[in-house]
Amino acid sequence: MIKTYHFIKNRDTVMHGIFMFCAVFSIIALGCICVFLFSTGIPFIGKVGITNFFGTRWHLNSEAYGILSMIVASLYVTALSTIIGVTTGLLTAISLYKFCPKKAVPSIRQLINLLAGIPSVIYGLFGLIIIVPFLRDEISPNGVGYGILAASLVLSIMILPTIVSVSLDALNAVPKSYYEGALALGATEEQSVFKVMLPAAKSGIFAAVVLSIGRAIGETMAVIMVIGGSPVMPKSLFQSVRTMTANIAMGANELTGDAETALIATGVVLFFFTLLLNISFSLLKREKGGGR
Amino acid sequence: MKKLFAIAIILASLTFALTACTESGDGNDNPGSNPDTNRNIASENPGTPAAPEPPDSGNNGGNETPVSNFDTSRNVTIIAREDGSGTKSAFMEIIGLKGKADPTDVIIQTGTAGVLTEVKGNPAAIAYESLGFTTDEVKILKVDGADATVANIKSGTYKISRPLSVVYKEATINDGINKAFFAFLQSSDAQEIISEEGYISIIDNADAYTIDGSLSGEIDISGSTSLQPLMIELASAFENLQPNVSVNVSGGGSGTGYKNANDDVSAFGMISENFNIDNAPLCTFYEVAKDGIAVIVNKSNPLDDISMEELKNIYDEDVTTTAKWSDLIK
Repeated sequence: MIKTYHFIKNRDTVMHGIFMFCAVFSIIALGCICVFLFSTGIPFIGKVGITNFFGTRWHLNSEAYGILSMIVASLYVTALSTIIGVTTGLLTAISLYKFCPKKAVPSIRQLINLLAGIPSVIYGLFGLIIIVPFLRDEISPNGVGYGILAASLVLSIMILPTIVSVSLDALNAVPKSYYEGALALGATEEQSVFKVMLPAAKSGIFAAVVLSIGRAIGETMAVIMVIGGSPVMPKSLFQSVRTMTANIAMGANELTGDAETALIATGVVLFFFTLLLNISFSLLKREKGGGR
Repeated sequence: MKKLFAIAIILASLTFALTACTESGDGNDNPGSNPDTNRNIASENPGTPAAPEPPDSGNNGGNETPVSNFDTSRNVTIIAREDGSGTKSAFMEIIGLKGKADPTDVIIQTGTAGVLTEVKGNPAAIAYESLGFTTDEVKILKVDGADATVANIKSGTYKISRPLSVVYKEATINDGINKAFFAFLQSSDAQEIISEEGYISIIDNADAYTIDGSLSGEIDISGSTSLQPLMIELASAFENLQPNVSVNVSGGGSGTGYKNANDDVSAFGMISENFNIDNAPLCTFYEVAKDGIAVIVNKSNPLDDISMEELKNIYDEDVTTTAKWSDLIK
């Protein structure tokens, strides 16, 4: 019996070790990626110089690695898609919360959630075949369909499910008494939803926005197909530009040597931006937790 | 009842959406657009100029703009390939812009298929593309008055052509299946396929390939997407001759070709530019075929002929005024 006991105890230790390893594995992976990014990217930025790396000219043959125009393009695309996506998504959530026939809500929610399951390359194809030609032939003043607007439209559809489901959950989490109280004080239904419920669900809605910004700034495949790809400073919505993610993906297969390292350095900047978003997200969460 | 009604509405709208999508999809499909059968009409009819075929608007659904409606006041939409593409570096070198960046309003497509799709759908587009990969869904321009034909490329009248090569380590072809495949590439069997596919063969009086029944295994080839379609044909012919051998051909671009051959990832790397030893210091190369680079425009475009000078102006980053089609069409 004692022997068996020892055997089992050993087995426990072994299994604990395995569990521990699994837990540590993801942290090791994160560490490896960070080490890889920073050990290659930061010395490269130092080597070519800050002014070169954050300049506006990207031309590999003359060793110009300026990614400022791509940072700006990334920010523009992210901002515009968030504005379009959040407006549509938030209004969808409000409609699902209050103004839509109750029986249709679950099915509409399911359908919107289906959007999240569509691979991003399909969004890219949709943009390339439908949105870009439409913008080119009907809307664009200069006959160019590619650019910030096309990418933002595609991205805003992609981030809809995140915004709708997270902000709907946030609205549902607000106690019903707030709404009833507002009605009792004489507010109309619309007033109670927009002036009482929305502010009460504020932190959850902010979380939805931050999450969708994270998705928009990191999205690559759908963007690369509709953005055009010219590494110039964005001056118009209908102009071929290049985002940081597109820059990395366009060159990753083909480039060697310094040019490849420049892509890794681009990755460092992108990583920095997403890190910033994650930190602000967890700060928001903490604030939300403290407020309750 | 309400629930049923809601489901019915959703189903109806879904059906409507799907039908609408299918219709627009049909609109984009070009009848008989199989790239394998239609590729490179220029080389199959060396006597007749392939490019100035009158676009028959009744025959191709892909053209939304009929020929008479071509708007010459539109800006030229310049399509280019990404940095590191063999087609791009070869094209830029030949038109005299070696090492220059793209013009600012360029649209970058990351593959041959992307370039073709864009030119097919955009009436104002101009692009360069491997001649062996060009289908008759787009219009091939004459350059300096010369048609893009095999005869003209061999004689040098058509100036825009480049070598398609495989990169390998000397040790790779010492024995076994890699040696046999390398011998096959030089055989008359391979030369025939190269000409059939619309490329320009290198060896004129090659010997037939001798089959070695004892061979088996796998050969991995990767790299330039310009050489890839030809290499796939060559690989399947080789697999027919040597049924126990399988050849995997994958893309990635010339840069990948250099990298994979140099790092032993692939036995052979495909490149579509002049071999540059700096990109793969441990390797050497063999020129499989020559390929013309076609300058292509939309079928609705009335332009037939473009000069090297005009091409250079279009693709030069220092020429900042955007060209209009009325500047090119006289």
